[in-house]
This record gives sequence, C-alpha cells and structure tokens, in this order.
Amino acid sequence: MSINSIDGCIGCGTCVKTCPTDVLRLDPKSGKAVIKYPADCQICHLCRMYCPVDAISISPEKSVPVIVSWG
Amino acid sequence: MNNSQENKNISRRHFLGIAGGAVGMAAIASIGFPSNWAANKIEIDINNIEQQKNETDVLVIGGGIAGLFAAIKAYDAGSKVMMVSKGRLGSSGQTPFAKGIFAYDKNNSTYSIDEFVEAVSASAIGTNNKAYTRQVAEHSLARVNELKEWGFFDSVLCNKPFRKPIDKRGITVMERIVITNLIKENGKIAGAAGFSLDEQKLHFFEAKSVILCTGAGGFKPNGFPICDLTHDGTIMAYNIGAKVTGKEWNDGHPGQAKNAADCFDGWHGMFTKKPNITNVGIRHDLGVDLNYQAYILGNPLKMGRPGSEEPGSKVKGGPYVPEEFRRREGLPEGDKKPPKRKRPDNDGPPPGMAGDLVGGSSAGMAIHKSEGLVPINDKCESNIPGLYAAGDALGSYMAGAIYTQIGSSLAGSAVQGAIAAEAAAEYCKDIKLQAIPNSTINRIQEEMLAPLKREAGYSPAWVTQTLQGIMIPNFVLYIKREKMLKAALTYIEELRDHHMPMLRASDLHELRLAHETENMIISAEMKLKASIMRKESRCSHYRLDYPEPDNENWQAWINIFKGDNGEMKLEKQKFDSWPV
Amino acid sequence: MKWNNIILVFSVLIGLPLLFWAVGDFPRRTILKEVLSVLTLIAFTMMIGQFYLTRNKRKMFKVKSIKKLIKLHKIIGYVFIGIILLHPFFIVFPRYFESGVEPMEAFTTLITTYNSSGVVLGLIAYLLILIIGITSIFRNKLPMKYTSWRLLHGVLSIIFIIVASCHAIDLGRHTDVPMSIFIIILSGSGVILLLKTYFSKPQNNRIKP
Repeated sequence: MSINSIDGCIGCGTCVKTCPTDVLRLDPKSGKAVIKYPADCQICHLCRMYCPVDAISISPEKSVPVIVSWG
Repeated sequence: MNNSQENKNISRRHFLGIAGGAVGMAAIASIGFPSNWAANKIEIDINNIEQQKNETDVLVIGGGIAGLFAAIKAYDAGSKVMMVSKGRLGSSGQTPFAKGIFAYDKNNSTYSIDEFVEAVSASAIGTNNKAYTRQVAEHSLARVNELKEWGFFDSVLCNKPFRKPIDKRGITVMERIVITNLIKENGKIAGAAGFSLDEQKLHFFEAKSVILCTGAGGFKPNGFPICDLTHDGTIMAYNIGAKVTGKEWNDGHPGQAKNAADCFDGWHGMFTKKPNITNVGIRHDLGVDLNYQAYILGNPLKMGRPGSEEPGSKVKGGPYVPEEFRRREGLPEGDKKPPKRKRPDNDGPPPGMAGDLVGGSSAGMAIHKSEGLVPINDKCESNIPGLYAAGDALGSYMAGAIYTQIGSSLAGSAVQGAIAAEAAAEYCKDIKLQAIPNSTINRIQEEMLAPLKREAGYSPAWVTQTLQGIMIPNFVLYIKREKMLKAALTYIEELRDHHMPMLRASDLHELRLAHETENMIISAEMKLKASIMRKESRCSHYRLDYPEPDNENWQAWINIFKGDNGEMKLEKQKFDSWPV
Repeated sequence: MKWNNIILVFSVLIGLPLLFWAVGDFPRRTILKEVLSVLTLIAFTMMIGQFYLTRNKRKMFKVKSIKKLIKLHKIIGYVFIGIILLHPFFIVFPRYFESGVEPMEAFTTLITTYNSSGVVLGLIAYLLILIIGITSIFRNKLPMKYTSWRLLHGVLSIIFIIVASCHAIDLGRHTDVPMSIFIIILSGSGVILLLKTYFSKPQNNRIKP
C-alpha cells in the first residue's frame, strides 16, 4: 500500500485536488476522503503535506506488480 | 482473490514465453495495480453528459510554473486568459518537486552571458539551441524576483504563492479537467477540449491562442514524481500536425532499490524543502553513463553519488564525455563558490542517494526541455499558428540533450512561460475567435468518451504495465541497438494498432488513464523510431552499435510529425537552425 | 471524601481512553502529535466526567462537605476547558515544526469547511464550551439566581456533551469503535443521571452509590 490510512479527515477535499495522480476522492456518503485508486499512488506525499489536519499516513511500499498476458 | 493468483501464475509464464528475449525484463520494470481484469462495469451515465463551452483569448493548459507565468504575462499583455489543468495549480507535474531555480545575475557572476552560452554548448556537444540557452540567462533573474514577491521561496508548497498573482488578476483557473484534444480550424489553432474528473461534463474551449504548459512525460515509472505526466501536450499537438522533437534522449535518473516506487523517501526529504536559488555552474550530468555501467557490470551498482567518480574508470567504453567535463577533484566549477556537493534541483540525483540503485526511475522522460514541440523561432511558437509551448512541453533544447546547469529546468519553464505568453498575446491582437463547428464537437466527444462505451476491451492499467515491460528495460530504452529497438517497436506497434483502439474505462479516473495510456504508446513509438534513426551516440542517447558521436551526419535534431496519411514521419533539423 | 470512588472515576476517565489509544490500530506519529492527541482525548473524557462530579452525586462519593467536591469540579473544569479551547490549534500546531501547509492556512481551512457536519458540530461545541466557561467564571456577576444559573449550566452542558460527542465520533482520529462506544456510554449515562435529578424533585436518596 502507498497511502495507508486517512484518520481524522474533515472532508475539506484539499487532498483530492492536490493529488497529481487522482488517487483520492471524497466518499459521496460520508463526505470524507477515501483512497479510491491506490494503484496509481506515486508516493509523493503532496496530499499529506497539504492536508490541514494531517490525517494522511503513507507507507513506502507499493504492491508488487503482476504481469498478465491479457487484461 | 483466488482467481488473480491463478492468473498471475499462468500468465506470467505465458507472458514471458511470448515475450522471450525482448521483453523478458518486463516483470522487473513495472508498477503495481489492481487485479480487476474483469468486465467493464461502466459507472458513468454516458447518455447524460453535459457540455460547457468556454471562450478566451489565450488558453493556458497546465498549472505548473510555466503555466503560471504564461497566464500572468498573457493577462498583463492585455489578453483574456483562462488556465486549465488536470491537476491543481502548483500541485501537479514536476513543479512541486523542483527545489532549485537558476538565476543569472550579471553583477554577481564570473561568466558573461556569451561565456555561459558557450560553456553550455560545450557540455551539450552542440545539442543545445543557443537562442534558448541565452534566453534563460537573460530573463531568469527577473522571473526569480517575481517569485520572491509572491512568497515562492518562503513556502514548501507552491499552491499559495502561485495563487497570489493569479487571484490578484482574477484569472480563471479550471482544475481537474483533462484536456484530450487540441482543435485546429482553417489551419490555425481554435481551442481545446477535455473532460472533468469530478462531474459528468465535457469542456470545450474556444481560444485564439493556446499555450501548452503540459510538462514532460514518462511511462509512469517508479520513483520519480511524473506519474501524472504522459506527454499529453506533445501528443495532442502532434495529432493536429505539430512537429515534435527530442524523443531519443533520456533522463538517466536512477532510483533506490529498496521501495523503488517511493518517490518521497527516494529523494531523501527534498520534497519538504523550500526552494532556493542556484548560480552558474556548468555540468555534464545524468546522461546514461550509469545505465551503461549497470549494463556492463550488472547490478548492484553501489556508489556514493552518480557521477562522483569517473564512470570510465571501471568500465571501458560507454557514453562520450567531453574532456573538460570528465570528473576530477575541483570540478565542476561553480560561480565563485567551491563545487557544491548538495544537489538542490531535480536536474540532479537526490542528495545523499546511497545504497543499491535501480535504473529507470524516470523512464520515458528525456532531458528537461530537450523533448516537446519544435519551436519555429525564439518565441516558443510551434509550426501551427496560434499554438505555443513553454517549459518541458517545448523542445527548446535550452540545455541541450544533457543536464548542463542546475536549477535551469525550473528557471527555463518560468522564462519560457513568460516569453510564450507575450508572443501569444501579440498574436491574439490581430485575430478573431473561431467558432468550433458542431461536427468537430461531436467527433471529439465521440472519440473522447469511446473508452467508456466499450463493454469489452483492455484496461489502461494493463496496457500501461505491458508498455512498461517493453520499454523500461535498460537494454531497450537506454543502452540501445538497432535489432532490439526494432523488436520493441514491433510490440509497441501491436499496442498501437490493436490495444489502443480497445482501451476501456469504467469511470472518469479510468478515462483519464485510457487517454494517458494512448499518449504513452505514441510517445514510445516516437522514442523508438527516433532512437533507430539516430545512428550515433551523443549526450543521453547511447547506441551500442554506434557508440561514438558522428559529427559529420548528426549535428542535427530529429523532428517527428504526422504525414498526410497519418503515418509517423521523421526529419533532421540542423543544429543552430530553425525549421524551414 | 471517599477517595476510592474518586480514584475509580479518574481511572475510568483517563485510563480507558489511554488504553483504547494504546491498543487501537492508529498510525503512530511524532511524540508531540501523540501527546497533543492524548491530551485532547483526556480533556474530553474529563469534561464528560464533570457530569459525575456534581453536588447531586455527593452521595456517591460520600462527601461530607460539598465544597471540596465543587472545588474539584471547578479545577477540572477550568483546566480542561482550557485544553479543549486549544484543541483546534493543537491540530495545526505541529505544522510549525514540519514541512507542509502553513499552520494558519491549515487553520483557516479547518474552520471554514462548512460542508462537513463534523466541523460544524465542532464549531458549535466550541462556542458552547466557551459560553460554559465564561458563565462559570462570572457566575456571581450574572444577574440570575443560583438555581437558574445551575439550570443554565446543566442544560448548556448537556447540549455541549451531545454535540461534542457527535463531533468526536464523526471526525476523531482516535475514535474507533471501542472509543466511540466508550464515549457514548460515558456521556449518555452522565446526561441521563443529570436529567434524572431535574425530573425527580424533590431530591431524595434514590441515587445510590
């Protein structure tokens, strides 16, 4: 995982705008940020640095890729 | 999931079986992604998509530092300006991560501008465009001073300092809109079109002039913060007839072996620093010497800092380095100061990068500003009237095909943004806004949304991963020879002809990925074809079968454009000349 | 004063949130951030605890003089209201020591995110606790009888604790399921106990230890 968890999100949406690769979205029900497209995270930490309440934690690992012959 | 586990086993064997020699490295050089290889469950109501039309004089595409200056200077020159970005102002592309900006101050430098241009040309082995090299020296200080005013150097994050001049002028900034098409009518630029990532809405922009500030691109590699950059501007412009250059060059940044995808830690805290200003210091950095070393000696390559020792000391052959730039104690020369050991800019490798390295962290990207639209003059103008480009979207060869000056990437983008803006604003004065015909709108909408309509097809993530497997191996992208390039080209042509038309998307995020994947496929084709054509080695282009510079035949850049039948055409353009 | 019971109350108010914080699956951050979080957590449970440290509960603690209990109630009140009032600043304060958005900018975003019910509840709770604090400090200067002040104090406290609990459960970084249940039970029974005293006049000895 790249972005690990979001704890204490206030739903301001800053991280959604800030993520260069569009990993995060606001959940329409809860109004809070969710890690919607984790595979596209480039682990750049911009979301974490921009988050006003420091809600985002990130780990350095990325899931190991699988190569398949058709998808 | 059981299924995907099964898939993994069968398919890896299967894939490697097919791939054989050329792409055997595939498994190593790719990035992670989801295992839903299933049917396309479309989440978008395709019949219920809104359209919004926007009108402006100058449309700036991209919200990095080039876009910032393009928007501001075009506004100040009297144009109506609109900025559109697929990310957020100051928070996408490479601008947020570039921490050094070059400023040439004639009162504070041992180099005259002429000497500076000459030194850069020597390091670049003639590959630089002297007009643009000169331009960065002439204008960088003014841009840096403006940035100072906006608080750029007081902040780790760029959004706020960038917002300041934009808000002051009331310039409209539309964020999270993915531009997919440039529109040309009657031989001139007429606007652009794209879709919103957040709502079911397409945007059509009618503009007198467009400035591409769309940055560089790569193959969504691991360890470099360019996974949102896929040469979008270059490919859109190519599709409407613009000439493109610089595809054979490579940025040779290595990554760390441990957690190779982790940009943040790989750069050892540099992303958390405030920007600083760099002085003149001519270098010959980060071509593909490290890649050559790894190719010959194998991994692991353990070293303090790439380039800190003469690469040739261990390995015979390899990329040619001009005599005066072979590393010795006391070199390179800095401006009055002793040589700096810390590397403040994204021109160089991360500071303190140590331990085991892996290659290709910036795979698919060329040297900053060597790759992009061909300028027809020193005003950042392309061969399509009204279409300008600035920064990494422009193949200005400001530094040539090798890194020659720390901090000049960011400075060059700022300088070119302003130059392009003034030229575009001037162009707008004598021209009328062209209406985009409905037939064009309908065609573009059809093309743009096509991946959302395909119930069967290929997921962009998978096609991207396959492309990475083909392109990223050291022996394809970096240490080149004809046979291998042709083999890889065969694969890429397969992706282009059979997979590109079948890319599918289930939502707006995936629609973006589908378009990015298309752009990467075309860019890969360009890279391979230009690499095959350039039968010599120079700067960051290295051929095993032609290891020396060929000054007789190759004092020239390669331009790529679309022929009348849609085929990809390549031509030479002599160094130090403008296109004819 | 029966110290055993007081100690029991405190160990619940401090010990349980600490326990949930320690065993919960939360990302561990810098010491400063964790200290501020824990301080806020405890301040909040102590505020709930105030429902149990009132003159109505004197039987529970077998208190001989009400004064001592009220004094304790006051000290805890002023100290932890102070901390609660700092809570929004605690969130952005660590940004002074690390890279990222500037603290003031973060604070502005924080208090202007009105599309989030959790933030709105937090702002309301903040105003309420501010009013509770001020009306307590200046109780003697207020033009009202003690009994009506007590009613006001109680009613404000009930509204505060309901609003603040909702806020904490909605937004709290450390309010996982156990912590949420703990807050609901603790504040719920506190409110019920207080309401009971309002509706069970005249006061008799029904409240048992």
